[in-house]
Amino acid sequence: MNSDAHRDRLTDPVTFEVVKNTLYKAAEEMKIVLAKTAYSPILKVAGDYSCGIFDTQGNMVAQGPDLPIHLGSMPDAVAAVINKFAHSAVEGDVFIHNDPYFGGSHLPDVNVIAPAFYQGRIFGWTCVRAHWPDIGSATPGSYGAVTEIYGEGLRMPPIRLYHAGEIDPNVEDLILANVRTPDERMGDLRAQVAANHRACQRLVSLASKYGVDVLTRIMQEVMDYSESLMRLMLSELPDGEGVFEDFCDGDGIIEDGEDEDMTFTIRMRVLKAGDTLEVDFEGSDPAVSGPINAPLSVTASGVYCSLKMIVDPNSLIPPNSGAWRPIRVTAPAGSVVNAQFPSPVVYANHEISHRVADMTFGAMAGFMPANVMACSQGTSGIITLGGVDPRNGQHYVSYETIKGGMGARPNKDGINVVAAGISNTMNTPIEILELSFPVRIDYYEITPNSGGRGKYRGGCGSRRAWTIVDHDARAAVCLERTKSPPFGVCGGEAGARASIALKLADGSIRTLLTKGGFNAPAGAQILLEVPGAGGYGDASERDSQARARDLRDGYVSADPD
Amino acid sequence: MAWRLGIDIGGTFTDVALVNDVDGTIGIAKTPTTPSDFGKAVLSGLHSALDRYGVQPDEVSLLSHATTVVTNSILEENGARTALISTRGFRDVLELRRSARSDLYDMFQDSPRVLVPRHRRLEITERLDATGTVIVPLAEPEIPGLIKQLKDLDVEAVAISLLFSFLNDRHERRLGDALREALPDVAIFLSSEVLPEVREFERTSTTAVCAYVAPILGSYLKRLETATDSLGLPELHVMGSTGGVFDVREALRMPVNSVESGPAAGVIAAQLVGAQLGESNLISFDMGGTTAKASLIRDGQIEVTADYEVGGTGSQNRWVTGSGHPIRVPVIDLAEVSAGGGSIAWIDPAGSLRVGPHSAGAEPGPVCYGQGGDQPTVTDANLVLGYLDAHSLLDGDLPIDYQRAEHALQKKIGDPMNMTALQAAAAVRDIVNNGMAEALRIVSIERGHDPREFSLVAFGGAGPVHAAALADELDIPRIIVPPIPGGFSALGLVMTDVRRDYARTLYRQLEDLAASDIEAVWSELQAQGEEMLTSTGISPDHWRFRRSADLRYSRQAYELNVTAAAGEFTDKTKAKLAESFHSRHEQTYGHKNLTEPVHLVTLRLTAVGELGRLEIADIICSDGASEKSRRPVWFAQTGTTNCSVHNRSSLAAGVSLDGPVIVESLDSTLVVPPGWTARNDYKGFITLERSNRE
Repeated sequence: MNSDAHRDRLTDPVTFEVVKNTLYKAAEEMKIVLAKTAYSPILKVAGDYSCGIFDTQGNMVAQGPDLPIHLGSMPDAVAAVINKFAHSAVEGDVFIHNDPYFGGSHLPDVNVIAPAFYQGRIFGWTCVRAHWPDIGSATPGSYGAVTEIYGEGLRMPPIRLYHAGEIDPNVEDLILANVRTPDERMGDLRAQVAANHRACQRLVSLASKYGVDVLTRIMQEVMDYSESLMRLMLSELPDGEGVFEDFCDGDGIIEDGEDEDMTFTIRMRVLKAGDTLEVDFEGSDPAVSGPINAPLSVTASGVYCSLKMIVDPNSLIPPNSGAWRPIRVTAPAGSVVNAQFPSPVVYANHEISHRVADMTFGAMAGFMPANVMACSQGTSGIITLGGVDPRNGQHYVSYETIKGGMGARPNKDGINVVAAGISNTMNTPIEILELSFPVRIDYYEITPNSGGRGKYRGGCGSRRAWTIVDHDARAAVCLERTKSPPFGVCGGEAGARASIALKLADGSIRTLLTKGGFNAPAGAQILLEVPGAGGYGDASERDSQARARDLRDGYVSADPD
Repeated sequence: MAWRLGIDIGGTFTDVALVNDVDGTIGIAKTPTTPSDFGKAVLSGLHSALDRYGVQPDEVSLLSHATTVVTNSILEENGARTALISTRGFRDVLELRRSARSDLYDMFQDSPRVLVPRHRRLEITERLDATGTVIVPLAEPEIPGLIKQLKDLDVEAVAISLLFSFLNDRHERRLGDALREALPDVAIFLSSEVLPEVREFERTSTTAVCAYVAPILGSYLKRLETATDSLGLPELHVMGSTGGVFDVREALRMPVNSVESGPAAGVIAAQLVGAQLGESNLISFDMGGTTAKASLIRDGQIEVTADYEVGGTGSQNRWVTGSGHPIRVPVIDLAEVSAGGGSIAWIDPAGSLRVGPHSAGAEPGPVCYGQGGDQPTVTDANLVLGYLDAHSLLDGDLPIDYQRAEHALQKKIGDPMNMTALQAAAAVRDIVNNGMAEALRIVSIERGHDPREFSLVAFGGAGPVHAAALADELDIPRIIVPPIPGGFSALGLVMTDVRRDYARTLYRQLEDLAASDIEAVWSELQAQGEEMLTSTGISPDHWRFRRSADLRYSRQAYELNVTAAAGEFTDKTKAKLAESFHSRHEQTYGHKNLTEPVHLVTLRLTAVGELGRLEIADIICSDGASEKSRRPVWFAQTGTTNCSVHNRSSLAAGVSLDGPVIVESLDSTLVVPPGWTARNDYKGFITLERSNRE
């Protein structure tokens, strides 16, 4: 198989390996530079960003060990800059944009993109996509339930941020005037620029060592290699066709004449034949008012992520644009999975790609049950908080995603409380959180009985409470799977649903919508439970020792209510 | 006082190495490892080393030891029955981890098994805030109940890790004192003592690893100490994970510091050899009986990682988290594969030939040792191919049964695969070489280092047997085979310094701290270092202290370690420290921010007692009549050929030998295939280079 994937290559095998690995190492190094120099916890400790190296057309040659969520859309984001600036860019230029309708994912994900020059010529590009904890809008954290992209925050089309190594002060001022905690944003932005510089240095040293022509040829060969491997491994799996349907909790908007947030449905058809795969979303609901509409590249990221887990569990295929050539993802324009301007999008980036990723397993369970897992937590479980920190009088914005369970597998239980599917961010340590923001965490623990029953149990979810300390905060939530629980597969049962509530200082409890802003006054407690995951196989076949262990360790209680 | 002794317990052999303090003369004694009671092999190795080189115990100035007990007990999950006590609401901290999965796309991955199962995770009501102020006092009335629970659970060790204890250790200390009093036989570790640093998961994990391995490490080191004491040897020292040795008390205070003790010794030795030969870019390759390890030395420096996960898969120094148990101490960076002389060759159910990961180890050992082994191993394959002496190894100490090895290869591998024993042996060798090349690739190509720019230092008993084949695979141009390759790691143990690191977390803005307060902390740490060094007997002229601070911009999450100027810390040196941080930040990341406050996280002090540099030498005084025999040896390029066999100890200085040739010594065999030339230098190092490069 390997020799086939190496066929037709001009470069000798050792040089190919060394250069390929150096490219991936450079993408990994970008990640390290960003983590070590960024200011906001979401970047420096939670790792909500992706880094990549691109060819002159904007194809992704190498992605760092980052977020699967960005697999599909980063190339479009880089191509948007190339289309606009490739002819005028000079050495030292850096570009910025966050427009989901130019290959961005949602406004908080800010792309910082730089060209790599050698002997006066651009031979590649680098991009760091990082989630800023705030990008303006009416809600700290920019996670409000709005109905147009104009309400979601500062929208930047591809623009030049640095000219020949000097930052454009007008652009800088405009950005900083529109985001909360501008000092912190500057720290993050500088870190993104530094990460791009590091990758460009690595690219230039490769170009000077091997020659720019050899290097650019290898960049193409790396993508061809991924494509060949993807085709080979796809063709080794059974052919078949499957459909799957699931509904989402809502968009955070209660429409006129309604008294609750209405659900909407996504439908998917998967056709696998030989070395290709087609996924179509015909029949999915039209775009909704609230910001949970996914641009097609975001939807595709969800498909790519699960597909890579199914096809390539041992990570033999380097993630890049070549790997996705055999895959076709289509959806009706204007549907909730192929949003058109000016539909708002902020939640969809993770909520729809999570959903699509889980549904991909569901759709393929019928014809390759040994290669799929049950539904995972299916939501990013996001809480944002903002206000003035009474300890220093400074504005703050906090953004966190809380993890639930990972789905049960064909031969083992799911994993308790871990980033599953399209996400792989880390939690923020409680101590870092409390040092950074005026909150106190009262508990953060595994939720018993939350893993779906089955021959193999779904991973348990978690629960957490935040107390707002000595100030009134403006909060926002983005949560899914409070109505449709994470499904089991092959006879397994669903995991526990999510829930969110606000307990005020007087002890009264207020339920909240699953999406949008709310006030959290001093002393209030935000109570969040994120979902467990679905089970795999019939619960009656579960091993008795596994049952006993679950009881002893309290993952399952003796008399679940 | 003229000799230093190092003891290295490998999976197959226990090595005792000696170096003469004065002239650098080296010696080695090897005995088969005794897994049921490691001390037995250590004692017999020590006896035989002292006898062979005529050394009296009171002539020994340093006795140091590399141990694999810590890693083994994590890998084998046989550590102590451990409990964890957390702040109420946070018992699951070890299982929640940092929530990222270690592999993005492996659907079948597992998180590492939590060292403390959930029913042994207990809680106590108490809480500090982010300034270290008590907001919920420690619930004293809960303590007796906790003690009863711990007794009922019959625990052997307890880790206590409360939120924000790195700012205020009062609650942890109070609880620790109560438990130590009530449970005198239970090992109690406090996170504020082990790792007083922010980030509760990493701190708790480091503390839990300490607790989990401490009882087993303690009983092991105490047994060993009793044995060495009985011989009248000096105090036992243990190798740390980045080089440097410390005493047993320190090893037990911080068991995580010796996690990669054995591998570190080998890499330290390779680094020193590089310095001696003037080579600064090396890949060290250590192949013993059970594993092969590779590590990179670049510009003369060993690579160290601060993000080590014990029991993790894959290699370190990559952006991979979640495959093991994090410990927040610096550890040497290496890649390890289960491939060694004892690795067993077998046919899997699908009919493919596999080698390892199971090893015949020391007992029963390879088939050819005739000690009951009946599974063919890599050593058996090397024997059948002619690389190893068909009569005896270890200078006649180990008789060899060639027929038995050939028969096993024929029967277990050759017959089912329709091959001759020789073909089977060649296939086994190909497979094991391929696996080891992977380890070399991980530390070089995978990290963007071109192996063509490095020399390979090959050691371990089996390293020189395979080195040239691996160098061919990765196109490495040069191989260095040190004297006594089989005991080379043990030499690293005695060519290092006594070292101990001290730290105190302050977690304050640098500008808010008076220089005199910082000086007071450093002086206190230095006093502890001086006390430690006094106890080693090393003369104060050989003491060195390095003061450094972990600094960052106040809103960052990661620190840079900046060295402070020597001498008393004043306002002037304080300003200089901030300046050094800004320029270090710019140098590392390409930018700095002079307006951002600098945050001082941790003050560090390293106390070193220098033992004096040694140039090792295996002085050759030979007339050059080194050829001792010829025998049939198989090479891929030539098939079986009548190959000349030389005695390493009789090689003249400066002599060159063209491959194919075999060079034998007491502890190892060097295989020089066709196309390579070996040259012996005047200190006993052999260098291999390709003879006919176009």
